[in-house]
Amino acid sequence: MMNLAWVVPLFPLCSFALLLLFGRKWKKASAYVGIVATLLSLLAALGVLAGRLGGTTYEANWTWMQIGDVTLTAGFSVTALNAWMLVVVAFVSWLVHIYSQGYMAGDERFSTFYAYLGLFTFAMLGLVLSPNLLQAYIFWELVGLGSFLLIGFYFYKEEAKAAAKKAFIMTRIGDVGFFIGMLLLFWQTKSFDYDDIFRAVGDGTLSPGMTTLTAILIFIGAIGKSGQFPLHTWLPDAMEGPTPVSALIHAATMVAAGVYLVAALFPLYEASEAAMMTVAVIGGVTAIFAATIGLVQTDIKRVLAYSTISQLGYMMLALGSGSYVAAIFHLTTHAFFKALLFLAAGSVIHAVHTQNIEEMGGLWRRLPWTAPLFLVGALSISGVPLFAGFFSKDEILAAAWLNGSVELFWLAVAAALLTSFYMFRLFFLVFTGEARHDGDAHEAPMSMVGPMVVLGVLSVASGYIQTPWFGSFLGEWLTDGAYHHEAAPGWIAVVATIVSLVGILLAWLMYGKRTVPRDWLSARAPHGYELLRRHYYVDDFYRWTVVALVSFISRLLAYVDRYLVEGIVRLVTGTVSAAASAGSRGQNGQAQTYGAVTVAGLAILVVIFALTGGYWL
Amino acid sequence: MSGTDIAFFLLALAAIAGGVTMLQLTNVVHMVIALVMTFLGIAGLYVLLSAEFVAVVQVLIYSGAITIIMLFAIMLTRHHADDKERQTTGGVWHRAVAAISVLAFGLAVYFGIRRLDFGADGSALATDNAREIGKWLYSYYTIPFEIVSVILLVALIGAIVLAKKDGKGAEDK
Amino acid sequence: MTLSAYLALALILFCIGLYGALTKRNTVIVLICIELMLNAVNINFVAFAKYGAHPGVHGHVFALFAIAIAAAEAAVGLAALIAFYRNRKTVQVDEANSLKH
Repeated sequence: MMNLAWVVPLFPLCSFALLLLFGRKWKKASAYVGIVATLLSLLAALGVLAGRLGGTTYEANWTWMQIGDVTLTAGFSVTALNAWMLVVVAFVSWLVHIYSQGYMAGDERFSTFYAYLGLFTFAMLGLVLSPNLLQAYIFWELVGLGSFLLIGFYFYKEEAKAAAKKAFIMTRIGDVGFFIGMLLLFWQTKSFDYDDIFRAVGDGTLSPGMTTLTAILIFIGAIGKSGQFPLHTWLPDAMEGPTPVSALIHAATMVAAGVYLVAALFPLYEASEAAMMTVAVIGGVTAIFAATIGLVQTDIKRVLAYSTISQLGYMMLALGSGSYVAAIFHLTTHAFFKALLFLAAGSVIHAVHTQNIEEMGGLWRRLPWTAPLFLVGALSISGVPLFAGFFSKDEILAAAWLNGSVELFWLAVAAALLTSFYMFRLFFLVFTGEARHDGDAHEAPMSMVGPMVVLGVLSVASGYIQTPWFGSFLGEWLTDGAYHHEAAPGWIAVVATIVSLVGILLAWLMYGKRTVPRDWLSARAPHGYELLRRHYYVDDFYRWTVVALVSFISRLLAYVDRYLVEGIVRLVTGTVSAAASAGSRGQNGQAQTYGAVTVAGLAILVVIFALTGGYWL
Repeated sequence: MSGTDIAFFLLALAAIAGGVTMLQLTNVVHMVIALVMTFLGIAGLYVLLSAEFVAVVQVLIYSGAITIIMLFAIMLTRHHADDKERQTTGGVWHRAVAAISVLAFGLAVYFGIRRLDFGADGSALATDNAREIGKWLYSYYTIPFEIVSVILLVALIGAIVLAKKDGKGAEDK
Repeated sequence: MTLSAYLALALILFCIGLYGALTKRNTVIVLICIELMLNAVNINFVAFAKYGAHPGVHGHVFALFAIAIAAAEAAVGLAALIAFYRNRKTVQVDEANSLKH
C-alpha cells in the first residue's frame, strides 16, 4: 500500500480539476465530488498508515531533471511522520468538506469553494509526502496560494481582499528565508533530499555555522507559515475567510505546515544548539504573546486565531526543547480540538449572523449540539485532565522542563493559564447569560453537526495515544521504538491542571457568575488593556515602518514608471503613429504624389550610389 | 567654335527653351505649341548626329501626329483659354519634394555623365544611314518590327474601345 | 561636339519632363511631359549611335522603336483621357482619385 502513497494527494487534485471544469454545471453536487475525493484520500492515507504500521520507511524517487552533474529527483516518501500527518490532514479536510456543505449552502460560488478546498488539501498532502526540500517548497507555495484564494474567497469585501493579500505577502517574507536556506543547503550538500542533508549534517560535511544558519533561515519560513511572532499578523486577519477555511487553515493545513517542516528537518535542528534555542524562544514568546492578545479580543474567530498562534507557539517550543514527539502530538490533538472549536464557532456565527461575542450570549439552550461540543473543545484546549489537550500540553511542559529552560517552562505555564481563561471567557460570553442579540438562533443542519461530533470525540480520545498511564504509542511509533518516555516530575501535571482550573475559575467569576466586574483589570491598567486590544501595536508598527517605507519606494517607482518609462514608450508610439499618419496622409489616391515619392526614392538611391562609389571617382 | 557647335547650342537652346516655356505657360494650347519647338529642336539635333531618317520621323510623328492628337484631345475636352485655375497639383510640399528629387537626380546623373567619352567617331554614319536602317530593320530586327506593328494595332483597337461611348449609360446622354 | 553635351541636354529635358509630369494638373500636359521624357531618351540612343563605344545604326533603330511605342502610348493615353473626361467632366489629374479607398 505504501508504494501507492502518491495517490493520496491525487484525489483532491482531481476534485479541484473536475470542479474547476464542471463546477458551474454541478452546483450543489460539487460538494459530493469534494467529499468523495477527500474520503478516498483519507482511505488511501489510512491504507498508507496501516502499511507503515506493519512495515518500514518507504521512499521512491525518479530523476526529474539533470543539470550538469546535478540530478534533481522527484518522488514521495512514507515515514512515520508522513503517514501520520497524511491521515490527520486528510481527516480534518474531509470533515471540513462535509461541514462546508451546510455552512456554505446557498453561496453563489459554492463549487468554486470546493475546488479551492481541493487545491488546498492537495497542496498540503503533497507537502507532507515530499521527500526533498525542492518538492516541499513547491507544495509549500501551493499551500500559500490555496490559503490566498480561500481567505480572499469573499473578494467583494475589502477586508477579505486585504487579508488575503496580507496573508500571501507575510508568508512570502518567511518563504524568502526558506528559499535562501534551501539554496544554501543545496549549495553545501549538492542535494535537496532530506536524507542526504541529514547525512551531511551527521558526517560533518555541513559546518556547524552553516547548519545553524540554514536551520534558522528555514525556520523563518516556518515562522511565516505557522504565524509565529513576528510574522503572525496575517493569521488573525485571515479570519475574513469563510469559517470552514479557518478551521482547515488552523487545524491541519496551512499553519501545521511550518511545524511539519521543522519536524521533518528535525535532525538538522538537533545538530545546532543555537537553532534549537531560537525555535524554543520564538515558540515560547509567541505562546504567551498571542495568549495575552487573545484575552481582550471581541471577535469570536479572532480569539480562536490568537489561540492558534499561541498553541503553535507551544509546538515550536516543544520542537525547540527537543521533543519532536510532543510537538507532533500537540499538532494532532490541536488539529482536532481547534477544528472543532472553529466549526462550532462557525455554527454559532451561522446561527446569530455576527462574529462579535458582545452580541451573543445565552446560546446554550438554543444550540443544544454546538454548545456542549464547544465546551469539549474549550476543555481540551485548556488542558483539563482526561481531555486530549491535557496530555499533549503536559508533554510539552515536561519537555520544556527537562530541557532545562526554566524561564520557557514558566512562560508556557502562564500561557496555559491565559489560554484557559480566554477560552472560558469566550465560552461564558457566548453561551451563558442573557441573550444580547435579536432574532432566532437555530441549530445548524446535520451536515455541520456531524463533523463536530466526530471531532468532539477525537478531542477527547486523541489524547490517549500518548499518555503516561497507558504508554506512548505515538512516541514509540514516530521514533521507530527508540522513544523513551523520560519521567517528568509528577508535579508538572498537577501544576498544569491547577493553572487550567484557575483560569476557568477566573473566567467564571468574571463572565459567568460576574462576582468580579468585567472591567476590573482594564479599569486598573487602561494602557495595558489598550496595548493588548491593539495587538501590541505590531500591526501599527509594521504600518508605520515597513509598509510606509515600501509604499514610499513604490510611489517613487510609480512616478519613474509613469513619467520616465511611459514617456519613452509614448515617444516610441508617438513617433510610430506620427509616421503612420504621415504615411496615410501620403496615401491620398493621387497618382502624382505616388510618382513624386517614387522619384524621391529613386533620387535618394542614385545620390547614395553617386556618393559611395560611382565609376567616375 | 565650329559651325556644328553653334548649331548644337542654338538647337539645344530651342529645345530647353521650349520645355521651360511649356512649364511656365498657363494656356494648354500654348503649352503644346511650345513643346513643338522642343520637338523640332530635337529633330535638328538628330540631323547633327547624322540621323537624318530619325529626324524626319521625329518631325512627322512628334511635331505632326502626336501634337495634332494632343490638340484634338484638348479640343474635345473642356478647356478655357482664360483658365485661372491653378496649374499644378498638391501643395508646396508636393512641389518641393518633386523639385528637390528631380534636381538631386539630375545632379547625381550629371556627375556621372559629364566626362563620359568613348573616344569613338561615328562619322561613317553620315552616309547612307537610311539604307542601313532599312537593311537592319528588315533583316536582323524583323521580329521586333513585326511585334511593333502588332502593338500599334492593339493600341489602335484599345484606344477605340476606351474612347467609345460605353453601352447603355452613354446612350442616356 | 562631345557625347556628354548631348547627354547633358537629354538629362535636362528629361528632368523638365519629369518635373512637369509630377506637378502639372492637366492630364494632357502630363502626357506631353511623358513624351518629352521619351524624347530625351531617344536623344541618348541617337547620341550613343554616333559617339558610343560601337558606332552604328542600331541606336537609330531603337529610337524608331521607341517613337512607335510612344505613339501607341499617346493614342491609348488620350483615349483613356477621353473616357475619364466623359465620366468625371474634368481632365485634372488630382480629381482622378477614386482608387484611394
